Amino acid sequence: MSDPTADPGSEGPPEVRLKDLRAGDAPVHIVARVVSVERREYTRPADGRRRPFLAGLLSDGTASVRFTWWEPPNEPIERGTILRATGVQVREYQGRPEITINFRSRVAPAGPAELPPVDADDMPLRTIRELTARDEGFRLEARIARVGKKAVMVGTDQREVHEGLLIDGTGVVAFSSWSDFGLSSGDAVRISGAYVRIFRGRPQLVLDSNSLVAKIEGVGLPPAPDLAASAPRRIADLEASQGSELGCVEGIVVGLLPPSGLVYRCPTCRRPVQGGLCTTHGAVTGVADLRSRLVLDDGTGSVTVNAGRAETEALWGVGLDEALERLRRSPDPSLLESSLADEVLGLRLRVRGRVYPDDFGLNVYPDAIEKVAVDLDARAAELARRFAGAGGSHGSA
Amino acid sequence: MALREPAWRVFAAELTASLHEERGTGERAASYLLSPYGARMNRVLVAGILSSPEAIGRDPSQPFWRARLVDPTGTVAVTAGVFQPRAMAQLQSVPGPRSAVVVGKVHLYRGSDGTGYVSVRAEAIRSVDDPALREFLADALEQSFDRLALVERIRGTGPDSDAALRSDGVPGGWIRAARDALARYPSIDRDAYRASLSAALEVVQGRRSIVPPAPAGPSSVRVTPAEPPAASARAPPSAEERAAESEFLDALDELVEASSDGYADLKEIVQLLAEHGLSSEHAEDILDRLQEAGVVEEPIVGKLRRP
Repeated sequence: MSDPTADPGSEGPPEVRLKDLRAGDAPVHIVARVVSVERREYTRPADGRRRPFLAGLLSDGTASVRFTWWEPPNEPIERGTILRATGVQVREYQGRPEITINFRSRVAPAGPAELPPVDADDMPLRTIRELTARDEGFRLEARIARVGKKAVMVGTDQREVHEGLLIDGTGVVAFSSWSDFGLSSGDAVRISGAYVRIFRGRPQLVLDSNSLVAKIEGVGLPPAPDLAASAPRRIADLEASQGSELGCVEGIVVGLLPPSGLVYRCPTCRRPVQGGLCTTHGAVTGVADLRSRLVLDDGTGSVTVNAGRAETEALWGVGLDEALERLRRSPDPSLLESSLADEVLGLRLRVRGRVYPDDFGLNVYPDAIEKVAVDLDARAAELARRFAGAGGSHGSA
Repeated sequence: MALREPAWRVFAAELTASLHEERGTGERAASYLLSPYGARMNRVLVAGILSSPEAIGRDPSQPFWRARLVDPTGTVAVTAGVFQPRAMAQLQSVPGPRSAVVVGKVHLYRGSDGTGYVSVRAEAIRSVDDPALREFLADALEQSFDRLALVERIRGTGPDSDAALRSDGVPGGWIRAARDALARYPSIDRDAYRASLSAALEVVQGRRSIVPPAPAGPSSVRVTPAEPPAASARAPPSAEERAAESEFLDALDELVEASSDGYADLKEIVQLLAEHGLSSEHAEDILDRLQEAGVVEEPIVGKLRRP
């Protein structure tokens, strides 16, 4: 039986760092922080009895590994808890080591000082392009392209998360930090002890209190880009690269997907309310809001642009109050959607923001949506030059 | 990712020059109309002068509307039915000719004489002013130049050069469309088509306007005479032919029964009859006879019913 009160640290084999784990018969001794954890149940086919277990991710700053903990204690094990465990089995799954904690293991809580000291200089240097899911134990030198903070609810606590973008010469990656490292846009930084997770289909760098951030000179790093000046990319390009943190596309609105127009959101979590029910908070009184899901097409592909209230009001020319007033006058919400569709279909828009893939294509979470003013004379002159210049059809694509 | 089909920026002349269709197989598979000029179209965006719509089909519960869109290169039919309610409302909303942009699915109907008729089943329609119309024509011109240039660039190369094209930023779908164009239309004169785009260029430049729609153009719909014609001069059909006709009508009734819109799809009839050993040419002959006799009508392209 695991016994959280026992002190396994005084005996047995020495600690192993997670990056040095190898699958084998001999049980090992580790100290690691719980990065994520979920309580599940397994139904034994033989007798139909249900056994609880914990599954999640452990990290000691050198690597992160998946773990399974059979017959865990009844009290919850929370994210961030540091554990010392002996008699732990290591096996390999799909080329990566995994840990099993079972009745032969002994587990005890530990303090941050007991985590193996992470020497940032020992960690290999990575570039943004090289980052893959669950990477850990690397250094990264990059420049902050953008950073901002927002309040999020974790359980019942309100916490602050700092979110932004990092760039180096190889690419762009989103980051989120649970600690305030005093970062500002344009800073060049060396980050160690962060890990990579996949968020909405794209890699994201996560910094926690275990991470180290040092400001550096940043020689050789590109300057912070002017985020409002990047040129649009073809949507087919973004489809090929599975999205972008710094996307910019230009196209025509060819469709409006439901739900668009007047929607109702959960007052707590802002998720859409369906039939008076929030998927998380149950029966709630929805709060009215405006949104539009625009299909933007540039002839090579299409994206779905998730426009919020302010952007929808700007494109529609109808505010939330007026939309509610119209609904009172003629209580058919589909009329509002038709009115919005008539206004937006055929518009030529330039949209900047994060572009994430899902099963139905690319989604844009916009930072800015603007109507495009075309310089017709310039375009006509360019087309005339191409028409005359190539003679036949032997230009370049 | 199951990607949504892009709206190819094309001119009417490219649509009407497209004769080859690639049928999707399997559930919900898309079909494509392959153009000689490097487009592989399921959905298109076209812009021009949209004529007054006319109602086709007599069943008031199944409205179906058709208009003609004229651009600097030609004319294409634009339709909308009950399954495109918003586009249908838009199509009906303005009576006279007006400048408009239309997004929709391409539809190829092959007539009994083998002629292909292309129409666009509208999903979205917007009336636009003259500068906006010229912007849409500029988009079509630019992408037409791009696609024609791509077709020439890959002529004589193999698929092993595709990776280089992709790294140059050429969309994968365009490469495939260009290869299809070369394979399906080996001897078409693309330079002549490119030269004909001078008309579109002049409209973009504001040097001329789109010629208003000619009153009569090639129609994508065969008009059924209101009254059955006088008795056919043809010799009465043989017993064998009568049996085939009754088989045709059985198939029609069966499909009408099973349909949600009260029409039988001609393609499905041909398919059913093929299972009874009747060739598609034979089926078309029977259809002509039955239409002449007023037994069957085709108020919508490819859709049949009894009057």
